[in-house]
Amino acid sequence: MSDKFSRRDFLKLAGVGAASTAILTGCGPASRYVTREPYMLMPEYNYNGQSTFYATTCRECAAGCGLVVRTSQGRAIKTEGNANHPLNLGKTCARGQATLHGLYNPDRVTDPIKRTRGNAAGTTVTWDDATQTVADALKNYKPEEIAFLMGTTSDHLFDLLTDLSAQTGINSPVRFGALSMFEARATLSKAAENLFGEAGMPLFDVGGAQVVFSFGANFLETWLSPVSYTRGFAGLREAQSKKRGTFIQFESRMSSTAGKADEWLPLRPGTEALVVLAIGRLASELRGGPLPRAFADVDPADAASKSGIKLETLEHLAEMFANSTGALAIPGGTALGQSNGLAVAEAVLALNAIADNFGKPGGVFFSALAPNQTEYQRSASVKEMQEFVQKMADGKFKVLFVHGVNPVFELPASSDFKNALKSVEQVISFATFPDETALEADYVFPDHHALESWGYQRVVTGSAQPVLSGSQPVVSPFYNTRATVDVLIAAAQLAGGKFAEALPFKDEVEFLQSKVASLMSETDGFFAAPDINTFMAYFQQYGGWWKTTDARTIPNTADVLNRNLVGAEAEFAGEGEFFFVPFVSPTLAEAGANKPWLQELPDPTTTVMWNTWVEINPETAHELGLEDDDVVKITSEAGVLEVPVYRYPAIRPDTIAIPFGQGYTAYGQYAANRGVNPADLLGQHFNEAGDLAFAGMKVKIEKTGKKQPLSRLESIMGVYGVGLGEEH
Amino acid sequence: MIRPEEIKMSAEHVGKWGMVIDQDICTGCQACVAACAMENNISFVGEKDSGYGRSMHWIRIERFWEGEYPEVKMTPNQPMLCQQCNSATCEPVCPAFATVHSQAEQLNLQIYNRCVGTRYCGNNCPYQVRSFNWRDYERPEPLSNQLNPDVTVRRMGVMEKCTFCIQRIHKAQDKAKAEGREVVDGEFTTACAQACPASAITFGRVDDPESLVSQLAQRGHGLKHLEELGTLPNVTYFKGG
Repeated sequence: MSDKFSRRDFLKLAGVGAASTAILTGCGPASRYVTREPYMLMPEYNYNGQSTFYATTCRECAAGCGLVVRTSQGRAIKTEGNANHPLNLGKTCARGQATLHGLYNPDRVTDPIKRTRGNAAGTTVTWDDATQTVADALKNYKPEEIAFLMGTTSDHLFDLLTDLSAQTGINSPVRFGALSMFEARATLSKAAENLFGEAGMPLFDVGGAQVVFSFGANFLETWLSPVSYTRGFAGLREAQSKKRGTFIQFESRMSSTAGKADEWLPLRPGTEALVVLAIGRLASELRGGPLPRAFADVDPADAASKSGIKLETLEHLAEMFANSTGALAIPGGTALGQSNGLAVAEAVLALNAIADNFGKPGGVFFSALAPNQTEYQRSASVKEMQEFVQKMADGKFKVLFVHGVNPVFELPASSDFKNALKSVEQVISFATFPDETALEADYVFPDHHALESWGYQRVVTGSAQPVLSGSQPVVSPFYNTRATVDVLIAAAQLAGGKFAEALPFKDEVEFLQSKVASLMSETDGFFAAPDINTFMAYFQQYGGWWKTTDARTIPNTADVLNRNLVGAEAEFAGEGEFFFVPFVSPTLAEAGANKPWLQELPDPTTTVMWNTWVEINPETAHELGLEDDDVVKITSEAGVLEVPVYRYPAIRPDTIAIPFGQGYTAYGQYAANRGVNPADLLGQHFNEAGDLAFAGMKVKIEKTGKKQPLSRLESIMGVYGVGLGEEH
Repeated sequence: MIRPEEIKMSAEHVGKWGMVIDQDICTGCQACVAACAMENNISFVGEKDSGYGRSMHWIRIERFWEGEYPEVKMTPNQPMLCQQCNSATCEPVCPAFATVHSQAEQLNLQIYNRCVGTRYCGNNCPYQVRSFNWRDYERPEPLSNQLNPDVTVRRMGVMEKCTFCIQRIHKAQDKAKAEGREVVDGEFTTACAQACPASAITFGRVDDPESLVSQLAQRGHGLKHLEELGTLPNVTYFKGG
């Protein structure tokens, strides 16, 4: 055969073979449709039991979004937004989605433990012993020697502690969170108080506006109530029933919020107040009439030269602001976290007076107080925390209870919280996760995870209606944990006397009932019930209680434009040549680093995962001889960090930025020893409202010669030298 | 050889389920990415593997840079996921019939237990939305408690991608059938669309002209990515701005 098998025959056969292979492997249409066979029925096509759904409240930040959690066979499977909830209308952010990775986190504190401070290994104690320990701590010390430090969630616990302190004389609970530090909440409410004569949380109706000027407010990331503000942003952009709204962001580094802006104005850090007042003056001149006193002192040309924004641009912006029927100006974040932050906040709020938008759609309001709230409360500023830390260091606090906050990590290292802890005789942590503060405590009596907990959260930053968002356990506790409220009630009974009188409850649920019972007599609630059991059943079913009426209040703006506003530039601490901007990671925020899927979410602007980077303008990097992934040493007056470079095209050449959210030394396997904490570079400098001037530092950069490749989602072609023949 | 314009004209290539994504309001917040991971039992791969481009996102947010400082702009965030092409380039190259077109749902299916891991499909996908399980990625206990029982847990050597939450489609269809009715528009949606705080993602029936997704798609300024390849995607984008 072989001698007759010509080359031509071979090619023919090969051709037939190739054609038949093509048919069999499915280049033809036959492959497009197949009938699924029973043996490959996947779970996707089967019934795998019925799910049960429970309404509760997200505790990943203080906003208080409503959740509906799908559970199956006693396990929590998926969180969704509660569609009825007035704050988030069925939506969630990434952190709300990943809350399940907190619930089933492999590193939770599983039992109550007693430990030598700083030693991760501890001995398990019983809950009876734990309760006795808390009772002894309450009973054996003077009331003024007992302090509670809380996070910004779990409002029901805050109420319990407030009642306890009112009746027993122990110190009132102090609340703190790194998010509220970076939001500069104290500055915002102080500015409102100065301008409107009333302390409160301003609410900005982004959705109703036509032109939004934001000065450093990262309201699409973590600021105040991101889900609600994102919905507002979608309303601003909506272009079917109205003109598409315009959004302008002023900040030295393009945040992912600024990435959505029509114009990003990289002003020189510290000149925000000048720019605001200059726009105010130019807009007032365009509108005609006498020049308001608030804007009289500023020279627009001077503001333009100092800020680096051209005068023509300022004029064009002022025209846009003055001519719009729905202009809105928002102060926030980095603009307020400077030595002149209060002046910036006042100037921005005053700018709204030109638009005359107070109490109007698309304007500025005061948030409504929540249903069972009698006055506006805010978390402590860093300056107030400094007084707290000083009392610890001076030995004035002998017992410290910590719940829902990790001050060793969240306060800047320069606050020296860790050292001050050493002067406190007894530290009791209620941490759910083994964080740095729990590691420095004598006892850890773990609270349940949020999804295993009762409680409520007041919605004070994003809703027009007064909302009390309710929590209930969606699954039974996975570990041997116990609700802190239950521990305190039991301990108070054991301690007896005024403590027992202050907390005369059987358990946490009875306490909750006592706190929401007053709502039954309210007339404008979206449900009513004749007795407390029915009320609680509805409260759990709907995920809280809220009024059907818009209860936002209108600020008293009579004097706003008649005040003297100061446009002084901010002062910067430290020697270096670069302005330093720490910003909260939009995906991790203050406590997301222990959730593996949050770690694997790419940062919206850089696409970096699992680590910390420093953003440097490519031109600056070139001058310093820096490439991507080069590790640099950053020195401020307060500390030193080593961190890899990300050449970021949208940052001023004289500014560098580092995200906050990594750099833990404890807090579980996904968080510990990963990245750095930019708060280590922050010194103790404050603005007039007592907020930390976190954006008021100058730093130095030095090349170290080391490399640390960052994981990033964007193409790695060329990034690690891949494809360029120069692999590192 | 079928030319793209011929495919467009063919009536049998009208899709069933589709999506409209408004890039003008997408803030890039990653809520959809997290929601997708939680719904679909997607593994996290850790720092090293994600650095090698092995992360398993079924949906990702793309952003590009235009211009240079100070005139630099971020392009509108672009959520990229399987486009559920009516004429998918991944399908004909699979030697194991693991990635096939479903007649019933008009979707591009991935049959995990047929997949032998040749990665031809991933190679041939112009949208680069398929991800391959390079390892059995660790999921330390008790994280497995969170796994969705309605979704297959994939193992090493298997290709995977967005399914338009087919488990949700089936649940809704079976429920409607049991109640003797059609699935109502908006009765259910995909995990990404459900989470999106800006409501930038809309999912529904593209063959029903009354559905919200069809109404949106007909607004006129929508575009389909890489349309010139003739893949006939079922996802429409509004560039916005």
